[in-house]
Formats: sequence, C-alpha cells, structure tokens
Amino acid sequence: MFEPIILAQILWTGIATAAPFVLLTVGFALTLKVTGLWNFAQSGQMAIAFYTMFYALNGLGLPLFAAVALGVVFTAGAAYLIEVCGLQVLRDRQSGNLTFFIFTLILSEFIIYVITLVFGTEPETLYRSILSPIDIVGGIAISDWDKTGIGMTAIGLIALYVFMRYSKEGQFLTAVADNARLAELYGISARRAYRVVAIVAALFIVAAMYLIGSHGWIVPNSPLELVLSAVIGTLLGGIGRVFAAAWASIFLALIQSFSILFIGSRWQNLLLYGFLFATIILFPRGVRMPRFRWAR
Amino acid sequence: MDYPITIAISIAIYTILAASYNLVLGYGGLSTVAHPIFFAVGAYTAGLMAVDFPEIPAFVNVIAGMGTAVVVSVLLAGSSLRVSGDYLLIASLGFQLGLLQLIKNLEFTGGPGGLSAIPSTLVGPMRGPAFLAICGAAAVACVFVVRAIVNGPYGRAISAMRDEELAFTALGRNAMSMKIAIFAIGCGMAGGAGGLYAYYFQYVSPDQFDVLASAAILTMVVLGGMGTVYGPVVGAVLLLAIPQAITFLQLPPSIMAPMQGIIFTLLVLAFLFLRPAGILGTKGRPI
Repeated sequence: MFEPIILAQILWTGIATAAPFVLLTVGFALTLKVTGLWNFAQSGQMAIAFYTMFYALNGLGLPLFAAVALGVVFTAGAAYLIEVCGLQVLRDRQSGNLTFFIFTLILSEFIIYVITLVFGTEPETLYRSILSPIDIVGGIAISDWDKTGIGMTAIGLIALYVFMRYSKEGQFLTAVADNARLAELYGISARRAYRVVAIVAALFIVAAMYLIGSHGWIVPNSPLELVLSAVIGTLLGGIGRVFAAAWASIFLALIQSFSILFIGSRWQNLLLYGFLFATIILFPRGVRMPRFRWAR
Repeated sequence: MDYPITIAISIAIYTILAASYNLVLGYGGLSTVAHPIFFAVGAYTAGLMAVDFPEIPAFVNVIAGMGTAVVVSVLLAGSSLRVSGDYLLIASLGFQLGLLQLIKNLEFTGGPGGLSAIPSTLVGPMRGPAFLAICGAAAVACVFVVRAIVNGPYGRAISAMRDEELAFTALGRNAMSMKIAIFAIGCGMAGGAGGLYAYYFQYVSPDQFDVLASAAILTMVVLGGMGTVYGPVVGAVLLLAIPQAITFLQLPPSIMAPMQGIIFTLLVLAFLFLRPAGILGTKGRPI
C-alpha cells in the first residue's frame, strides 16, 4: 500500500484533481482581495458556466470552442450584472456584511432553482463519455484530462500573474485592494476595478467548470459545495494572498488524496470541513510560512 | 386538511427557529449561520431516543434534544466566539457542514438516507390539530421568552455588549460568558424545535439542515426585521406561506419544488432591495 509507485500515483492524481479547484479558489480569492466580499454568488455563476456549456455541446451540438465561448459570455455577463445591479447598489447603501452574505447566497440559490427547473436534477457531464485516454509514464497513469487540467491551471495562473503585475488594469486592482479610497484619490475607479475582477473571476470559473464537467458529473446543487472548497483554500492561503490560496488548494487536494491510505473516501468531506473550522479558529489570517533568509 | 395543518406546523416550528436565531444574531450580534445544526441535533436526539427507547415519554426526548443542542452550542461557542464578523460566519458554516457530514457517515443516525420510522406519540384523526396546538404553543412561548429576555435588564446588557463590547468589558462585565449564554439559550430553543419536527414528520435527513436551511432561517429573521421581537414571526409566516400559493396549480413535484424555491428566493431578493431593514425593522439600522 505504501509502495513508492502507489504514492507517486496518488501524488500525481492529487495534483491533477486539484487543478479545477485551484482555478475556482483563485477566482474567489481574487474577488475577496479586491472587493472584500465573500462572493457566494460565484456558485450561481459556476452553475451558469456548466449548464451553458452543457446545453451548447449536447443540446445545440456546437463545437467545443463555441460552447466555451458561450460559457464565457453568459458567465461573465451574469457576473457583470450581479456586480452592477446588485453588489454596487448594496455598497452605495452601505449595507452590512450580512446583507451581502444573504444577497450572494440567495441569488445563487435562485439561479440554481431556475437551472433545476430547466434541466432537472439528473447528474450531467459535458461529454457522453468522461473516460480520458491514459499514458503510462514511469509506471504512473497520466490521463489526457490530467494534462489538460494542469496545463490550463498553469496558463491561468501565469496569465493572472502577468496581468496583475504588468498591466495597468491589474495594478489598479491591487491598488483598490490595498485601499479603495486612496486609490480613488489617485483617479483609479474602484467601481471599474470591481467589474474587472468580476469578469476575471468569471473566466477562471468557466475554465474550472469545463474541467470538472469533462471529468465527472454535476447536479444543479454541486456548485454550492464547490464554492466551499474555494472558501477553505482562500482561508488557508490567507485573505489577500491569491497565489498562496492556489497552493493551499493543491495542499488540500493532496491531503484528501493521501487520506485514502488511512480513512474511507466517505470521510474526505469531513476532513475538508474540519480544515475549514480549524483554519479559521487557529489561523484566521491564513497559514504563513516563515521566510527563509539566505544570509545577512 | 392535512396539508394546511402541515404548513401551519412548519410555520410554528420555523417561528421558534427564527425567534431563537434572532436572539443570537439580532440581539447578541453573533454572526453565525450554524443554527440549523442545532435544529438537527435536537431532531436526531429526540428521534433516536424515540426509536431506541420507546418507553421514554416524548416530552422528555424533546427536552433531551434541547439539552444536547445546548451542550453542542457551548462546545462551538467556547472554541469559535473569539473570532467575530465574517470569520465567525465562515467558522460556523464549517462546523455545521462538518457535523452534518459526521451525521451522514454514522450508521446509527441512518446515514445519508436519514432516520425514518420515528414513532408517533399521537395517532388518529386529531394528530395534526393536536401537534399544531403543541407547536403553536411552543412558538408563542418561545417568542415571549425572547421578549422577556431582551426587554429586561439582561436585555439591555445584551444590547450594550452587542453595540460596544469594549466599553461593556471595561465596565467589568464578562462579554464572553454573556455571548455563550445567549448562544446556548438560542440553540437550545432550536434543539427543541428539532425535537417537535422529528415527532411530527417522523423522518429526518441530513440534507434538511444544510446551508440552504441556514439561508432560509437567516432570511426569515432579516426580512421580518432583525432585532425586533415579532419580525422573525412575520418572516417565517411570509416566507413559508407565500410559496404555497402555487400548490393549487397541481404541478408535478419536479416543477413545483423549484418553482416554490424561485418564489422564495425572489421574495427575499425583492425585500432585500425594497425594504432592507426588514418589514418590522427600524430604518437606518444596518444589517
């Protein structure tokens, strides 16, 4: 059971499985960093992303690129509308945290009920078959889905890094995240930043839902659980530290993968929620690694 | 006749839940969303005792459900009330979902399928009206207990703690013990509601107490008017009764359930924007 090849396989599968969760966590953590909001409405956007692509592929028979493009349009459109017609209105009224919590959660529920009405509660996948061709490399099974997932996640993270570091819009997001009022004094529009981050997060959501939907089934309620995994990753990484949240997601996925060596798979979710509770009680500002200094 | 009575009993049970949650959230200022888990603890305790020890009277089992909910709430409060605001909200969510996962995975609770065949103490044609009388009386008692707590000197101390915790502590009062006490009282009431629920519906499953249940109770409190005695009652009646208006359409369950959900969520969203302080709430008080 503890043979190196088995451990290596679990390690690889854990990293590959983490891919969509990293994307969801990055979208959630970035939104929290810039807007200061725990945006549970992202679970509604996840449902929109998946079911748009599902209908485009299976109902309309469109090719993949068109289905993904439609997914992006609908999800980003929904994110933009939620920001402009919902969150901004509540911000202008100086609503409290609970109002935002209720609004985002109930809006997600509304979207999920509408999707349930249209598509039913049957589990759905993007493709009729979710079996992915497998190569054996050094005794480890590596599927095409694994490669796609890890590749998409790596590209997404690099693109986000470049966007945040080198583009003016990305730097504006950082400025608004640091201090929205001060940023506005310098002529940076916080409203614009909130809209931009909503759309950037929507792109990550579509990518993640493509990966999840092409590897397993989804029911309308699934996104509510998915957004919780993003919350846990965000907390573990530390609020405001988007890339640390991505690492935290990988760490969580690896913990879950390796836990099968010791406990049954049915206990994996309990492990996840235990992490959520323990993290917020013991490390409310996230787990910070000590900085290594080479020399003085 | 059964269906309207069932709806009325649901309203009474949710009135207890909303009123007790209002004590914790509206008066105590403790932003937790884990209230349904105490409802679940009460329901499972009473249900399991009814199944395993049928000779014990029902009211003893309901009180045992309340007691267990109080114990679990003190455990949560002791560990998590040192964080507040958003952090407490998320920590309570983690606690709730973790405990539900535990219930799902344990065999003696019936697992994900739930606990069924809970014996009914009342039988016959008067079962529904009798349960309605019991639940209605419990709901009224609960609302008046909350009113008695918040209108007395202890209530003023609770409000002071909620609004200015630092000043409250500087006066030599123990904010933590007060928080734990409010939390335990509120959660105990929720546990009692759970016991009544288990006895009437004779079936409980983990999915009934998940994050959607949290959202439902939270919206009843906020839309009725958080921090008002009768607001949660109005919220419970409104949000449970109005979605029932479409039942006369005789739609199939696959359409009826999401339609009722859509009506419920639309109502919440409409009130959130049109009357943010709640129906009985005071303008200007942020939520």
